[in-house]
Formats: sequence, structure tokens, C-alpha cells
Amino acid sequence: MAAVTTAVGRPRRTRRGVFGIMFAPVTLLIVLFLAPMLIMVQMSIVKYPPDVASGYTLEHYQTVLTDPINLRIAWTTLFIGTTSMILMLAIALPLGYYMVFRAGKWELFILLSLVLADELAPVVKIYAWQSILGREGIFNWFIPGPPVSWLLFSRFAVVVTLAATYITYTTIPIYAAMKAIDPSMFEAAIDLGAGWWTQARKILIPLAAPGIFIAMILVYIPMLTDFVTADIVGGTGSYMMGQRVRDLILSGGDWGSGAALNFVMLVVSIVMSVIAYWLARLNRIER
Amino acid sequence: MAEVAQPAGAAVAVRAPAGVRARVAANRWMWRAFLAGVFLVLFGPLVILVLFSFNDSNVLAFPLEGFTLNWYSVAAQDTLLKESLVNSTLVAFIVAPLCLVLGTLTAFGLTRFRFRGRGAIGGLVGAPLILPWLVIGIAALMAYGRLDIDLSLKTVIATQTICTFPLVTAIVSAQLFRFERVQEEAAIDLGCSRMQVLRYIILPHIAPALAAAGIFAFTWSFNNFEISFFTIGFQQTFPIWVYSSVRNPDHTAVVNAISVVISAVQVGLIYLAVRLLRRGGAASALGIEEAK
Repeated sequence: MAAVTTAVGRPRRTRRGVFGIMFAPVTLLIVLFLAPMLIMVQMSIVKYPPDVASGYTLEHYQTVLTDPINLRIAWTTLFIGTTSMILMLAIALPLGYYMVFRAGKWELFILLSLVLADELAPVVKIYAWQSILGREGIFNWFIPGPPVSWLLFSRFAVVVTLAATYITYTTIPIYAAMKAIDPSMFEAAIDLGAGWWTQARKILIPLAAPGIFIAMILVYIPMLTDFVTADIVGGTGSYMMGQRVRDLILSGGDWGSGAALNFVMLVVSIVMSVIAYWLARLNRIER
Repeated sequence: MAEVAQPAGAAVAVRAPAGVRARVAANRWMWRAFLAGVFLVLFGPLVILVLFSFNDSNVLAFPLEGFTLNWYSVAAQDTLLKESLVNSTLVAFIVAPLCLVLGTLTAFGLTRFRFRGRGAIGGLVGAPLILPWLVIGIAALMAYGRLDIDLSLKTVIATQTICTFPLVTAIVSAQLFRFERVQEEAAIDLGCSRMQVLRYIILPHIAPALAAAGIFAFTWSFNNFEISFFTIGFQQTFPIWVYSSVRNPDHTAVVNAISVVISAVQVGLIYLAVRLLRRGGAASALGIEEAK
């Protein structure tokens, strides 16, 4: 209460003030964000959507969760996402370490390069990977012998392209967490005879662990629902959950199953973000 | 004699044994190779776009065929492309100012006031940043369909706005957190009205963050694919035009050319945003921006 009083005089005016300030944004969020979510949930439990009069049922959820095709797609998505995540961590961990402890004046430059690379030419960037991995792409141009065809339109292509797309979002939380590590820890470890592997295993990774988990969760959420990457560089073996939901609704016109599957993804995302938030608060790196 | 020997002696004292020196050098080269690899992954695709935009062939294949500016003039004459660029620019010019106002209001409400339900509202504002755009886009598509609202650029603007203004809130909040509230209190004690506090104390302080947030909101809106994909009618925005064109082999070179032009403009804009943010201490604001 004291904080309120010092901020803008009398508390009663304050309450009206904050109502005036927050009214428009909150109303818009409720009308354009929350209400559509509720309508989607409604569509997922209506018998013949979008006809609300047809009665309510949970059969869409039953169909969606027991369909072996969906389970296989979920498995593919998880496999692609996790492989890509491992690849990104293999890059982000050393990169974060380098930025914090070695880069010196280049630290900000690398950070800005990450942001810039993420913002530029969104869909085209994915498609450029066709010319890197394709039959007549750079790799096959350099590699002698007959062209390697599994590089493009395959799970491999999707894994690599997803990793290249989301590397910025993996690196920055890890970098932020490593920023809080006292560099003298490494000096002490070196004086005690620790090699780089011991330093990484006993100091760097445990102390950056919350940042690593947050990065993983924040990247898993958009990556597991990504459909553009798999559309452009993927093949028949890399059909992902995002594509499935999109096709159910746009091509199949099956709103019931689409909405149910979408709601499942929403719940998974919310659970993951709550875990990330909890981790961030626990370690006070969220600010 | 001593004077001559001294520099040599000092150098010897600083120098580590040959084995250690070799290891340090190897170490440095390993880091350089690693960084080169990272930058190749980050910017390699963009370099390839530039190369192929000048390549005298419509096929994305190596080796390159020869230099041409043809694709740029073809791109300049493509009416569908022109329309999509106009649409994207129009949408971004409406979305960015809206987001700036809504996002700044929210940042003030959340950082300067304590009120009941603040946590819940904070969560509601943060949700569009974290939840997948696919989920939000499909929910919006269903809602518009259910309420018989025709999909058009208006629906794109509506849904993009609520997905983008939380980004502005994040950037501006970061600035407001750093800003000493004592200055506002001092101004009030000295008899300033609330408008005067806003005009002379707060605005000058957050102006760089506002400008940067505006530019980021603009590029987010301009680049947005998922939301537009699900909430647009028969028109196209630029990312949607790209998405449909890359699947059409006749179009690939034109896509490269126009993407190079757009990227160049965006590099300029983002450079500006970063310069502005640096004036107010960049790293933390960027860190929060990247929390999506």
C-alpha cells in the first residue's frame, strides 16, 4: 500500500488510474486472445462443429488421443525436436561460454548477430537450406561421388534447419545464465588442476542448468508446433504435429479433431511455460 | 649491457614453455573455427540468397551460372508481389503504433502499480509471447469462423496486435525497471502534474526503448507468417507470398532477389533499433525481448 501512495498520491485515484491504463490492453486480450481460445475449446467438445446445437461430447479427444497415426506423428515430432535440441545445445553451450568469458569486446557483437540472423528473411531463410542440402546444393557440389539424396526432404534436413532457425532462442537464455557465473570459479578450478571437461561438467553446466532448462522449454514450445520448416525442407518421413493440425483444419475441414489436438498442444505448452517460469523465479534470472 | 638484456629477459619471463604456448594457440584456433561455423550457420543461408539473386539461372544449383540483374527487374514488375508488399507494409504500419500504445500502457500498469489481479494480468500479457503462434492462429481462425467474421487484413491486424504488443511491454518494462522511481516522486513533490511528469521525466527516459520497441514490433508484424497464414482471406502478405512462391520453381530467383532487398532494409532498421537501445543499455532489454 505504501508503494501505491508514494507513486501517485492518493490510493483511490491510483486504482482508477490503473483501471484506465490497463482497460484497453486487457479488454483486447480478453476479446481477441482469451475468447478465441475458449471458442476453440468449445469446438473441440461440440459433436459436429461448428454447429453448437449438435450437443457436446468428448469423442474428439478420444479419437485424437488414440489414433495410431497421431501417436506416430507425435513420436516423429518429439524425435526431430529432441535431436535438433541436442544439436543446438552442442552449439549454444560453448557459444554462451565463449560470449561470457572469452569474447571480450565482441560479446555484444555476437549477441546482436544472433538477434539479426533471427529477424531476417523468415521463410526464405528456411528455403535457402534447399540450396545447401539439395542434390545440386553446396554439400553435394563439394562432396565427390554421386549426389547424396537423403540430405534434403528428410528428417535430417528438418533437424538441421530447425536447429539453425532456433539457435538464437537457445543461446540467449543460456548466455544470460552463464553471465551470472563468477569467472574466478574457473581460475580456482584450473589452479586445482581441473581440465576443460571437468570445468564444464562441475562448474559451467550445473551453474547454468536453470538457463539451459528454460532455453529448452522456450524452444520446444514453438519448435514442436512448427510446420513451415517441415513443409519446405521435410519429406514424407518428417510429417510433424504442426502440419497435422494445420491439415486437419484447413485441408480436412475436421474442426473437432483439429481443435482437440490444438487444445492438447496448448495444454502441453502451458505446462512447459509454467515450469520455465517456476525455474526462472527459483533462480531469479527472469527479472 | 644491462639495458640491452632487460627487454629480452622480460620477454623470457612472460613467455610460457613451448608446449603450453602451442596448446594456447591450438585452443584459440579451435574457438575461431567454432565461431566461423556458428556464423556460417547463422548467415550462410542469407549469403546464398544474395548469390543466387545475381545468378543467371532459375534453379538453386551449384556451380553458379553467371551474373545478372534480371531477377531484380522481374521482381519489380510482379504485381502479386507488389500487392503483398503493400499489404504487409500497411499491416505493419497499423500494428506497430497500436502495439506501441498498448504495450507502453501495459508496461506502466504492471511496473508502476500494485493492484489485485496483477499476477493474472501479467500472465495474460505474457501468454501470447510464449504460446505457439500456430495454436493462437488456429484459435483465431475458429473464432472468426464461428462469429461469421470474414477473414481479411483486418483480422490479421487484430490478431497480430495482441500477439505483438506484449513484446513492446517486455522492452519498455525493462527500461522502466531500471529507471529510478525517485525521480518521478521528486517531480510530484515539487508540484508537477501527472502530465508534466509524463512529459518531462518519463518520456525522455524511455524514448530510446520506445523507438526500438516500435521498430521491433514493425519487423515482427512484417515478418509474421503463422498468424497471418491462419487469419488472412484471399489477400497475401509478403511472408505468405514467399511461402507460396518457394513451392513454385518458376519463382525461386525472384524470391531471392526481393528477399535480399527486404533484408537490406531490415538490417538498416534493426541497426537503428539497436543503436537506440544501446543508448539506454541494450543487453537486458534484448535479453527480455528474446524470451519468446
